[in-house]
Amino acid sequence: MVQEAAVGADGKPRIAGAMPVTLKINKKQYSIEVDPRTSLLDCIRENLAITGTKKGCDHGQCGACTVIVNGRRINSCLSLALMHDGDEVTTVEGLGDPDHMHPLQDAFVECDAYQCGYCTSGQLMSAAALLTEQCGHSDDDVREAMSGNICRCGAYANIVSAIQQVRSKS
Amino acid sequence: MSDNKDSNPKQKQSADHKQSTNQKSSTDQKPPANQQPAQTAVLEPKRTSVGHETRRIDGPLKVTGKAVYTSDHNFPGMVYAVPVGATIANGKVTKIDAAEAEKMPGVHAIYHRTNIGQLFRVAPDSTFTAYTDEPRPPLEDDIIRYYGQYVALAVADTFEQAKAAADAVKVTYQEEKPNVSPKLTADDKVKVESHRGDAQKAFDSAAIKLDETYTTASQTHNVIELHATVAVFDGTKFTMYETTQGVVNHKNVLVQVLGVDPENLQVISKFLGSGFGSKITPWSHCALAGAAARKLNRPVKLVVSRKMSFHAVGHRPRTQQRVRLSAQPDGKLTSIQHDYFNHTSMLDDYKENCGECTSYLYSTPNLRITSALSRRNVGTPTSMRGPGAVPGLFATESAMDELAIKLKMDPVKLRIINEPTIDEGLNLPFASRHLIGCYKQGADLFGWDQRDPRIGSMKKNGLTLGWGTAGASWIAERFPAEVAIQLNNDGTARVSSATQDIGTGTYTVFAQVVGDKLGIPIEKVEVVLGDTSLPAGPLSGGSMGIASIIPATTKAIEKAVDTLLTAAVQSPLTKFSGAKKTELALTNGNVHRKDQPSKEGVPFETVMQQVNLNKISGKASSPGTFSGKKQSSMHSYGVHFVEVTWQEELARLRVSRVVTVIDAGKIMNPKTGRNQIEGAIVMGLGMALFEGTEYEPTKGAPINSSLADYILPVNADMPKMDVHFLEVPNTELNEYGARGIGEIGLAGLAPALANAVHHATGIRVRNLPIRIEDLMGEST
Amino acid sequence: MKQFTYTKTSEINSAVQEGSANKTAQQGAEIRFIAGGTTMLDLMKLMVETPNKLIDINHLPLDKIETTSGGGVKVGAMVRNSDLAHHPYIKSHYQVLSEALLSGASPQLRNMATTGGNLLQRTRCVYFRDTEFACNKREPGSGCAAIDGDNRMMAVLGTSDKCIASNPSDMNVALMALEATIHITGKDGDREIPISQFYTLPGNSPDVENVLKPGDLITHVSIQPMPPGSNSTYLKLRDRASYEFALASAAVITQVKDGKIAHARVALGAVGTIPWRSPEAESVLVGTAPTAENFRKAADAALKDAKPQTHNKFKIELSKRCLTHALKLVTTA
Repeated sequence: MVQEAAVGADGKPRIAGAMPVTLKINKKQYSIEVDPRTSLLDCIRENLAITGTKKGCDHGQCGACTVIVNGRRINSCLSLALMHDGDEVTTVEGLGDPDHMHPLQDAFVECDAYQCGYCTSGQLMSAAALLTEQCGHSDDDVREAMSGNICRCGAYANIVSAIQQVRSKS
Repeated sequence: MSDNKDSNPKQKQSADHKQSTNQKSSTDQKPPANQQPAQTAVLEPKRTSVGHETRRIDGPLKVTGKAVYTSDHNFPGMVYAVPVGATIANGKVTKIDAAEAEKMPGVHAIYHRTNIGQLFRVAPDSTFTAYTDEPRPPLEDDIIRYYGQYVALAVADTFEQAKAAADAVKVTYQEEKPNVSPKLTADDKVKVESHRGDAQKAFDSAAIKLDETYTTASQTHNVIELHATVAVFDGTKFTMYETTQGVVNHKNVLVQVLGVDPENLQVISKFLGSGFGSKITPWSHCALAGAAARKLNRPVKLVVSRKMSFHAVGHRPRTQQRVRLSAQPDGKLTSIQHDYFNHTSMLDDYKENCGECTSYLYSTPNLRITSALSRRNVGTPTSMRGPGAVPGLFATESAMDELAIKLKMDPVKLRIINEPTIDEGLNLPFASRHLIGCYKQGADLFGWDQRDPRIGSMKKNGLTLGWGTAGASWIAERFPAEVAIQLNNDGTARVSSATQDIGTGTYTVFAQVVGDKLGIPIEKVEVVLGDTSLPAGPLSGGSMGIASIIPATTKAIEKAVDTLLTAAVQSPLTKFSGAKKTELALTNGNVHRKDQPSKEGVPFETVMQQVNLNKISGKASSPGTFSGKKQSSMHSYGVHFVEVTWQEELARLRVSRVVTVIDAGKIMNPKTGRNQIEGAIVMGLGMALFEGTEYEPTKGAPINSSLADYILPVNADMPKMDVHFLEVPNTELNEYGARGIGEIGLAGLAPALANAVHHATGIRVRNLPIRIEDLMGEST
Repeated sequence: MKQFTYTKTSEINSAVQEGSANKTAQQGAEIRFIAGGTTMLDLMKLMVETPNKLIDINHLPLDKIETTSGGGVKVGAMVRNSDLAHHPYIKSHYQVLSEALLSGASPQLRNMATTGGNLLQRTRCVYFRDTEFACNKREPGSGCAAIDGDNRMMAVLGTSDKCIASNPSDMNVALMALEATIHITGKDGDREIPISQFYTLPGNSPDVENVLKPGDLITHVSIQPMPPGSNSTYLKLRDRASYEFALASAAVITQVKDGKIAHARVALGAVGTIPWRSPEAESVLVGTAPTAENFRKAADAALKDAKPQTHNKFKIELSKRCLTHALKLVTTA
């Protein structure tokens, strides 16, 4: 077996069995090598240090890791980074920044649609996707469509208000 | 409601507030004349955001992914640590074979008892300054006392490698049968918590009595942010990025466990993905990460997995509570007995203080409250939102509903009849108590007078309605706090304290207080928290954070303003040169003569610029309220009215509507305040209907240790909620009369819901959570 | 997670060829196809699945929903749950399928999960999912911790003394009622299997869950049109209001003619070890009037052989109420 270099070109330790992948995250291209076991979530957070996206369960049971891939929201914890070679990924950082907030981000602040803020990135990415999905007009429709994102602080009422506020304006 | 006579003269006052939810016109007590701002000759409206619906100042960071939580920290050379948890709950480790794991790619070390280095116990502490619920350090011995107890730690270059290595560590055990029995009996001596009169005698001779036992399931906090530590060691000093509700306490614990001097350990927690009690004190993983960082001289990131969150980061213990009530036919209580057990771990005496509110909630001449612990092979329990009171009120407020039914009396009326005039437990006057006011306003808002008490009699859209109510109470106290203020010569101010915002809005309320005191917009206030290099601030626990910081903040500002005014009069370069300091004031951000309106004055930053001052500082502390003799009984109160819908043909129960009225004094920010209460209602719904950690009897493992198997409420479960605050400030605790609101919203929700379920179905569920099968009657 | 090699293919033949090196296509497989990943990665993180090779089949040309000449539909194995649920033809012609899909998981997971993958959804049995416990399905011969354990969620139909794990699927319950056909390509060519013959009861080999052999790849699911004038629905009961596996569910298709039920298809979810078609209920229904009494008789027939465990007796009655109510909904629509 060929001895692999301990340190890769980027100065980080060479990961045994690593494979190349190119991801386009928030319109910026990243070509890196990852351990095939690396989830899209861990790749974004740990390999690329884009940490707005959160881990809450690592098993698709909370929604904190929700990102939009090729226009659709998914749980990034249940997907391998390698499965997304060439894909366009949008995280909460791609929605807007504090000086240029997306209308949903502004509505979340206005409606106090969070408390601790930890599930918020996932809530926002679900909300952003919801705007383009088939979803009825009622609050109940929004509640159902947002039920894949658990908020332990229980800010659900304000989350629905924020989303409805943005939907009513668009 | 018209037949409900208000027997308590104090309540007359609260009745006046009935229609003035958001008014702040009166207080329970008038400040003494010498404390009134009499020196201000010119009265003018003060700029303030206190009491306003203010957007969170940290909101833009939270919604853009820029708020940095513990596990978001990444450092060059950082390695990942994954603990290995015991797969037995009782016994001992006989062998740890790490040979295969150590050889795996990327692995730096597998640590266990023999190679981690010495970790120390935490000295006993009752002041919450260096407190931990689990004083035993990790890996201290080979004895296993609960499932998931850490036995080793794998450290590798990547998370994937560390996880695989942890899975490859082979641990051999000598296993004994664990005791995780849900049937609780006293393993230690029974402690009398409170007593008056002769409760048993009164009970025995009473015509109307109730004797029932209630249980609440063990609950796991399941905050969405996983517990985590990122430990950085520079050869001398630790910088610990921690998920903590108390950076100062956390530091004071970790210096002991790691055996370092206080100046060599700093704890940082800028944003916390909520705690609800699970992050009040450090858990074993913090020391493991610190020890590994020191051994390897590298930053170590350790994130506790969701599954492990069910093992070693605390939980609300199971409770079993016998409640005995007796009453006269007119509803007057003649006795209350409340005897409760909770399970605790093998080593630690965690008491779930279920009798917390029992001694003062109702008037009765005879009362006895006892507690006892049952030792189980479970991880150490800890505080979970409203510890003690929340499960305790499930029992006592369910019992009150059952008693009302026996008496054929409206449950609200029963509460009014038994409203005390003083705290009969402490024999002290109430500082501020408006429980009946809450009931009256809530009943009006809910439409309680339309309630038909007959079981299953109320229908709507083909569904059976159930209406229930329950009251609640929670302590109102203060921790000691130290706060520093800094006025800057650009017109901004910086306030700092080593406390933290756990999601409750501390950043924002801090800014509101400073903005109020200085008369500047909150946009000009920088709030710096979550770092032990700052003046020692309070824990975020017990709903005491805001109440605790206000006095110290006010004093610190007074000091800084005094310095500012001194500079203004001393310098020849300001228009106040030569004036007396006592002739000046700072109002609406302007330094001005007291006999002139503030707009005639000069912005404080202009004064500072004129004098060529860059910054003016003030630092002050305020004491806690736990020591010293109490003069009054200070608590918050609240009432929930809950509507459930019941569809028998589908055994489908949903919560459709909740009206909640809270008596917690001044609400500093109704936007964040209402949110907290609504969130508590959602959590209460989970406690009442879904949540329960199931300990599997053969291995003692929490078997439903995932978010798919431990059910939390989702958005679709949310009822329509209507939250009101009475807002009767009492300034004994602080000058705004603000008490905490973190826990009070959860208290009383579960019994109100269970009472509603009984009204709809006729089924009295005394064991939480209420499950579908409980409501299916004979068919199960 | 155990280390594995990862390959990706956009050709069906090469997927089959690579998969054919497997010793089994059931529990213990060393080579696994990965599509949505919602089950596979979940189980790999739990070390329940420990393949040493993953073949990413997300790019196979199997992502179409086509209507067939007979008015039926042919669904590619890579069609995502959300796309299938929202497809206009599915919504208008196969309401039961759309409703079943939308009642499952969350929007995010439905965007990931595929039709083929969902056919192979594994049980949620907590003992299967925890390698510290005995489980005949995960590790043949090790025993069943669920039988004496916390078995509230477990099955009451089709159990054996080796396994009581319930099948958690929503989609497959609808496909059972719709009598779908599963199209498989393997090393010996293509074959079509009625869904009623696809799943195998646990019996003595709960590790074997279906008829798939090494190299087999599900390519399509086809569904015949429902009889003209028939109605269908899917009803799911659970603890919380959304994002949870069922305690009981029912997929029903009925056609009422002249006041009598002329055609009935009934399948139950969450109570069986496999998605549970109930010919017993169907035969009770056909030829009778759509009354509450007859619905209840059908439900009694469907659960006649149910065998409760210590904590799940209520599921029998719950399943009956679920089916009764679903029949009421579909015949009064």
